[in-house]
This record gives sequence, structure tokens and C-alpha cells, in this order.
Amino acid sequence: MVVVPEFLIRRIYQKGSLKKLDNGASIVLKNVLGPGFISGFNYVKINDVLFEPKNVKFITNGQEILGTDVSEANPIAFRLGQSGTLVMSGNDCVIDGSNKIAIEAMNPEAGKVLLTAEDNI
Amino acid sequence: MDITYDKYSLMVDGKRLFIKSGAFHYFRTPGEKMARDRFSKMKSGGYNTVDIYFNWNYHSKAPGVYDFSGIKDVRKVLQAAKDTGLFVIARPGPFINAEVNAGGLPFWLLKAEDVIPRNRVGTAYQYSKKYMEYVAEWYDQIIPVINEFDNVILFQIENEYATDTMEEDYMRELYKMARERGIKCPIFHNDAYFAGLWADCVDIYALDLYPYINPNQNWKQDNFCFDTLDNVEDIFRSAKEDSPPFIAEMQAGWFDKWDGSGYEHIREALGDEHINIMTKTALSQGVTLFNHYMTVGGTNWDDLACDEVYTSYEFAAPIDEFGALQSNFYKAKEINYLIDSFGFTCTEPKDFDFYQENIYAKLRHDLVNDCDWLFLRNLNPDTAEIKLPSGKDVKLKSYDMKICPLNLQLKGCKIDFSDVEIFARLNNEKEEAIFFIADENANIYLSDGKIISGNQKDYVKFTFGADDKKTQFIFLTRELANKSWCLGDKMIFNADYVLPNGAVAVDKSSEIAYFDLTYKFNKKNCIVDKFNGEQKIQKLEIKKVEFCSPEIDVDYDYSDWKKVSSDTDAFSCDMYDEFVWYKTKIPDNLSEITLSARHLFAVYINGKEVLNRNSYKLEKLQEVPETISIPLNNSILSAKVNELTILVQNLGFDKGFSGDTNNPRGLVLIKTNPEIPLEFSVCEKLALERTDKYESENPYLAKITAEFDIDFNDDVFLAKYISFEDFRCRRATIFLNGVKIGRYIKRRNVQDKFYLVSEFLKPHNKLEVVVWEKERNIKSPWGFKSDLKNVIILLGTFKICQLFK
Repeated sequence: MVVVPEFLIRRIYQKGSLKKLDNGASIVLKNVLGPGFISGFNYVKINDVLFEPKNVKFITNGQEILGTDVSEANPIAFRLGQSGTLVMSGNDCVIDGSNKIAIEAMNPEAGKVLLTAEDNI
Repeated sequence: MDITYDKYSLMVDGKRLFIKSGAFHYFRTPGEKMARDRFSKMKSGGYNTVDIYFNWNYHSKAPGVYDFSGIKDVRKVLQAAKDTGLFVIARPGPFINAEVNAGGLPFWLLKAEDVIPRNRVGTAYQYSKKYMEYVAEWYDQIIPVINEFDNVILFQIENEYATDTMEEDYMRELYKMARERGIKCPIFHNDAYFAGLWADCVDIYALDLYPYINPNQNWKQDNFCFDTLDNVEDIFRSAKEDSPPFIAEMQAGWFDKWDGSGYEHIREALGDEHINIMTKTALSQGVTLFNHYMTVGGTNWDDLACDEVYTSYEFAAPIDEFGALQSNFYKAKEINYLIDSFGFTCTEPKDFDFYQENIYAKLRHDLVNDCDWLFLRNLNPDTAEIKLPSGKDVKLKSYDMKICPLNLQLKGCKIDFSDVEIFARLNNEKEEAIFFIADENANIYLSDGKIISGNQKDYVKFTFGADDKKTQFIFLTRELANKSWCLGDKMIFNADYVLPNGAVAVDKSSEIAYFDLTYKFNKKNCIVDKFNGEQKIQKLEIKKVEFCSPEIDVDYDYSDWKKVSSDTDAFSCDMYDEFVWYKTKIPDNLSEITLSARHLFAVYINGKEVLNRNSYKLEKLQEVPETISIPLNNSILSAKVNELTILVQNLGFDKGFSGDTNNPRGLVLIKTNPEIPLEFSVCEKLALERTDKYESENPYLAKITAEFDIDFNDDVFLAKYISFEDFRCRRATIFLNGVKIGRYIKRRNVQDKFYLVSEFLKPHNKLEVVVWEKERNIKSPWGFKSDLKNVIILLGTFKICQLFK
């Protein structure tokens, strides 16, 4: 059980932002909930393809942060209204039509937070 | 009392009222006398409302059984609020969180058949008819009591509730149940996610705001934590257009946890700046109802605490656990007095074209006073020089916030602009006195072109206007302002605090000054003469040390204990006390016992300790269960039939916010190798609590007894503590006159000072400390007893004040 209900977490995902990249994908997240921190990216899953933190990059405020560089000791601030692009590489994962997206991240106050969404391409 | 509201504010009998509320837990500040003391201090600090959670679990130990007697008499608490002149925000749950055991849900409810607590499994909604029947039982008990008091102005249903699918049945049913039972005032819910949740199910939409919940975070560095607060008016307006902005829980402190950073750190980290910024920013967003959570700290005596928190619930609150006023109280008082002076009940945002890095500037038009208020905040680490569009310069200290009047027409003059802060106003038809807080970097600009510097000494006075309409400006330094009190049509200076009946409290002989518009200044000397050495720290004489766990002795008769088999957790045994004993017989052919217990436990075989373990672990807001195996051999299993005794200390059930109230406690799992069926005899509480004969042969639990006297005086406020600095034991449970008042558990950090809860103090007192685990460096358990004879327990005074009527 997490602190924040699923439907609220889902609001962070920017519908229509899923893009197919060469050997990967990107999505956009926007913090519409409240100011806070991300203290880890556990994994991103698009359809059946699992991306580990080493294959995940978060681009926000002109900075590129590798998933493995985000930790409890080194959290990244995610302000209210702030956007960021999550880039996954190393595997083709996006299919035509409906795509299932799951992002498990860590928050110092809420613990494990799972965002699930569906997006079409 | 008729309570109505519009988009601006609440109205009591048609009159607009700014609600300045403070949260108070009667269960953590037990007894009428303590409630009256804390309420008086709140009232003198300018609060006009007290927010009260009603804790279902505190009153109900079995279905249909309710205790509202003695210190659990909530009528006396509500009457004390009424007598003090405070309105009440009633919050009877059913779930309250508040870091109390099981979030305030009765233990019996959690295990009742067909009950799904809060109609929620995880975050999935699941309606339970049986649960609603029990909620009706609670409402039937508590609402008639609430209804007896016409000073109850708001009523809350549930607490920070959400589900994945947000079905409305539960909230709508609670609303209906409250109305059917006669609740007349507006009903609200507090949305923890500031997402407009349940706005359509209640009268007034309210939300909770805690920008600083991680003590490792530095809010001054990560100052974007105020982002939500800075936009809260939009959230309110989009959630419910016609109800006034209400922050049902507005951070005034924060709770510490086991292994946390300690209240000293939290208080220092928040500083006075945090409550100043929180409250003034809320005003800048049009908020007209706020509740400082907490305004009064408390104590987790007995088994009140959830597993997350230790004995002190000091909360870094403006009025601390011991009833002493802290520096954030004085900051809250300043803002409360300013609100009382000018109302702030009816304001509209106004365009203000301004940008400077880390400076928040918000302008509001005051429809009642027909003036503007400029809210300026500096989140830079240095003093900021702010150039306003009007050309005026304002110097604002780092992490400071000011409310500056513009075009404020007073009786004898008009303020064009002032960055000297207004502290309070006394006012009658012809005359007014405005008290300003002296500030060498600020000025008052009058409409006639006159500029008055804020660099003034105490009581410096300027007078404007003629005899029929007169305004006086009186300056106070901040030090004096902290000790200045607005009481009706009077200001009282140089007192530690005042009571609504006009009594003043001082901790040393002082010259008290009074001011009112008729007699102006008067003085009175208060000579302190009643402390009788109470301020001295005293080393308590250990009267005796006794071994006190006969349950571990081999010949102990437990034939009348309750029998349980297979499931041994608290719910299965129906035993929810902090301490539960388990006893059984085991054969000599076992090679191993495997067990999991929450939270601390010890295993004894044939009267000898084989394991003593603290299994409490919380990571990322979730408890981490632990299972341990104990290898057995012939020297442990020395007889054909051996006696197994397990003592488990339950630190409390989950509070049910991010975890599950139904997470098991007690002996959660036990199995043997080879596996054999075990039938346990169980019993709760320590022997001394059960008033059994408690002297024992074994050395594992020892009781230290000390006695001391307190010189009570009706006109002395006294807060006492005991201190366990250099205590050479790892765990202890503290009893004051038979009441459990604290848990000492040595972990990364330890609470070593314990408030001697006033309600339980007597002129002659008996202190009993049951020590369960020795320090590792005490080699022989038998040496334990002689070591304890030399233990140092200090008796001290947190705060002492003499009251003068």
C-alpha cells in the first residue's frame, strides 16, 4: 500500500507523450501533485520490456540524470509544475496502438511509488 | 449559535470571523486541569479555536463499552474550551491517525467479523456494512456529547481519506450520519493530497499542508517546499468556489520517530521562520480558517502511541509537551494579534507586477478596511533589498516574511505604506493605539509625507489626530513584544504569559506594565516568592531494587491464564497491551525454535534467557518483519519437559496512514524443529500492573523504586521531569504513581527526559522503573541488581511560573 492513491499518481504522466526512439522510448512526467523529491528509479517497464536504472535517464531543468545516480543520499528535486523527460534506451519496446507503461520510483516520504499508464502511438 | 459561510470566511451569528485554531490532543494532555492550562495559554496567544480529535480507541476497549469517565471525560474538555472562550473544531474520525495506536480505531474493531476498517483494503475501496454499523455506534456515543456545546463550529468526517476509485458512498454516509445525529455546523474533510478530494461530499473543502516532513531535508535550501502553499488559493477555488479557504492542518511542528533526529533538531530546523512563513503565506492566499497542527505538544503515556513514535509527542509545537511557551508561540501570537486587529476575513487578490529571485510578493485588497496588504517573503540566505514598483525600498531578513499595510486609513492618520510590522491594536470609537514592532531597517510612511523610523525604543509613542479621533503609535522591541499580551481592551507587558481572567505569570520578580485607552500606562510589581527550591535538580534516592518477573520462574503458577493454540498474535489472543506473556512446555528433543514477534521480545527456557531481541524496524514507512531461529541443545533443554516463556513488547499498532492498522503484533509466528503443536497460556501486562505478587527469583526484569515529594501551590505553574542521562540499561518502562508514563529504549537516539505528566503527580510520589535489558557490558545478570542500586535518576523542573491575580 502506498500513501498516494493510484489515480493521483497517474496524473503525473503526460498523456500522449510516449515517443518511440531508436532502441528505446521517451515519456514526459509533470509534477502536478506537490513539491517533493525523487530518491530512486527502481525500473521502467514499457509493455513487456523492463528497463533498469542504468538504462533510464531523466532530463529536467536542462540536466541529464542517469537513473543509477538518483538515490536516497542523492535525491532530485521535483517541483510543483516541473516537467521532465524520461528516456529509456537499450531495447525496442513501443508498439503501434496501445502501450502499457509502469514506472516504479522512490520518494523519501511516500516510499515506493508505482505509476501505471496507457498511451497510444 | 448560527454558523454560516461564504467564499471568504466563516460567519458566527452573521458576523465574519477569522478562525485561528490550534490542535490539542486531550488524550495526550490528560485531565481537565491540564486542558484548562493549555487552553488559557492558547487564548492568550490569540487563538480563538481549539481543534480536538476524539480518539475512539481511547474510549472503547470492547464493542458497546465506552468510558467517558475521569480523565476520559470529554465533556470537561469541551467545557474548559467553552469557559476559556474558545470555539471548537470537532474531529471524531472515525479514523484520526494522529500517530496514535491503530490511528484511533478500537482494537476490537480491527478483528471484528466482516469489518473492513475504513472501507478500504490497501487503496482499493471495499464497503463494509458491519464497519458502518460500528461507526454508527461510535457516533451515537460521541456526537450527543459534542452537541451539548454550542461553541462547536466545524465538524470533520474521516481523516486524510482517499481510495483509488474515489467512490463517494462512505463519505456521503458519514455526512448523513452526522446530520441525522444533530450536527448543525458546517461539515468538512481534510484532503491530504490537495487535489480537491471529497469537495462535493462536504460543506467546506479543507486541506492539510506540511511542507517539511523529512527532518533530513533543509527547507531553507529546498525552499520550493512552499510551492503548493504559494498556489493554494487556486486549489481552493477550483475545488469549491463557494466555501472559504480552510487549511485544516497547517504545519506548526513535526513529530519525531524512533531513530529520528530528536525534537531539539526539529525545533531548530523549523525555527520561528517556518510558522511565520506558513501562516503569513496562507493569509496571502486568502485563507481565513487555519489550524496549527500541533499547537500543543503531548505525551504518549500508557499505550497511546502507534509503533512509529516514542513517548514524547512534543511536536516542536508552540506550546510544548510540558506546557511551556516556545519561540514559535510568540511568532504565532504576533500573527494572531495582527489578524485580530484588522480582521483579514474578506480580501481579494490584486495584480502586482513584481519579480525578484526568491522573493514572494502578493498583494491583496481588503474589502472591509478598504486598504491593501502587501505580503513580502525572502527565501534568500541573505537580507534582501527589495525595490517595490512604488519606488520604496524594503530590507527583508533572510527567511523572513512581513505583512505591510498600504493606504490604511486609521482614526487619526493614514498609512501610505509601512514595513514596520503591526503587532496589535486597541480600539474604541474615538481612539486607537497601534503597537508596532521596532525595526531599525523599516519605516512607516504616512499620507501627509511624514516618515517615522522603525528604529525606536520600548514604549516610544507618536500621537496623531485631534481629540475626537485619535491614533497612537506605540513601539515595542521584539523582546518586549514576546512578553506583551493583548487581553480584551488591555495590553499587558513583561509577563511570561497571562490568563483570560487577567492573572499574569512570571518566572522571576518582574515589573508588569498595563495599558488601556482610558487609563493609559500603569505598573505593578510581582515578587516571586513561592518556588521553594523547586528549580533545583535533585538526584532521586533509589529506595529499593527488586526482581519483578515471576512469570519467568519455573514454579510460577499460570494455570488461570488464557489458553491459545496455533495463532498467537495479539488479535488471536485478544490481548492488545504493550506486554504479553506466553508460556508453554516443550520436550527435550527439539533442535530449533523459529519465531517472529513484534516488536521487542525475549525467550526464556527453564527460567534462563536464551534470546533478547529488539525486532522493531521501519524502512521507507513500512515495517520490516524479522524471523529468528534459536538453536537448542541439551544444556538449554535440560529437563525432559522444559518450560518456554516468551515476553513480547508491542510498541503499538500501525497508525494506518501508509501502513496497515491490522499488521499483526505480539507473537506472530512460532514453530519448532521437529514441528510439534504448541498450546500457549497467555497473559498481558507486567506483574506489577496486574498487582500480582511480583517478587521473583530470576534477574531478567528488575524494578527500581524511588519516592519524591512535590510542593504544590495553586498559584504556581510547575512542569517536572525525570532524566535518565548515563542510564546503563537498554530498556525501561516508567510508572508514576502506578500510571505508565514512558518507554525508555536505547536505539540510535534515545529519549532520556520524561515529562512527569501533571495530572498524575501528587504531593508524595512513587516512581517505579522496570528495567528489562541490561547493558552488554554488565557481565553477570545477577550483577544487574547491584548496578541498578547505583543508577542515576534526576528530578528536574522544565518550567516554573508564579501566577498573580
